[in-house]
Amino acid sequence: MQVHRYEKIWLAIGGAVLALFIVLLAVNAFAMGMHPPSDMQMIDPQKVDQTPPFDKPGLKQIGEKEYDAFMTAYAFSYAPAVIEVPVGSKVNFHVTSKDVVHGFEIPGTNINFMVEPGFVNSASQVFDQPGEYLILCNEYCGAGHHLMATKIIVK
Amino acid sequence: MQPDTEKKTGKISPHTEEEPLKGTFASVLMLGAFIVVCWFAVFSLFLNRA
Repeated sequence: MQVHRYEKIWLAIGGAVLALFIVLLAVNAFAMGMHPPSDMQMIDPQKVDQTPPFDKPGLKQIGEKEYDAFMTAYAFSYAPAVIEVPVGSKVNFHVTSKDVVHGFEIPGTNINFMVEPGFVNSASQVFDQPGEYLILCNEYCGAGHHLMATKIIVK
Repeated sequence: MQPDTEKKTGKISPHTEEEPLKGTFASVLMLGAFIVVCWFAVFSLFLNRA
């Protein structure tokens, strides 16, 4: 098969760029610890209120500046209603749903995942800037979807 | 026999000639550069928000 010289050049460039993207993704995943917001932890969606730690949603300090936030999502809010952490804290969010599929997004950060009944999804964020961060639902979950939000206060 | 001899002389296929692909080459490189720039822009946004 005859391949034009220019075609060989742009195929080589395309292949090299693909290889570069894959290498960067591998570095990101294995060296920097980026992973999908699910560790396949499961929970009975009908017994969330009786299953620790989701029977008492809230913050749990696990280090000097590190917190676990156990949260539940339900139509049409989150529990706990407001979270407060000091500046520079790392918060590990663990969220599950008590009813339907919800979303969990904090605009301006990388936190953005689905909250599915039956699963506990997790993501971590370091809050270096003080302020009020919005947490909102971005999966249409019913008539009150547009009201479904809470906030995390960093000070 | 006629097609066989034509194959041997290389006249049957127009693809064997160097086609003028300079413009195509330039536009492929520009599109490639656009994709690479967009990829790194999104990636840096991701890193800055982490």
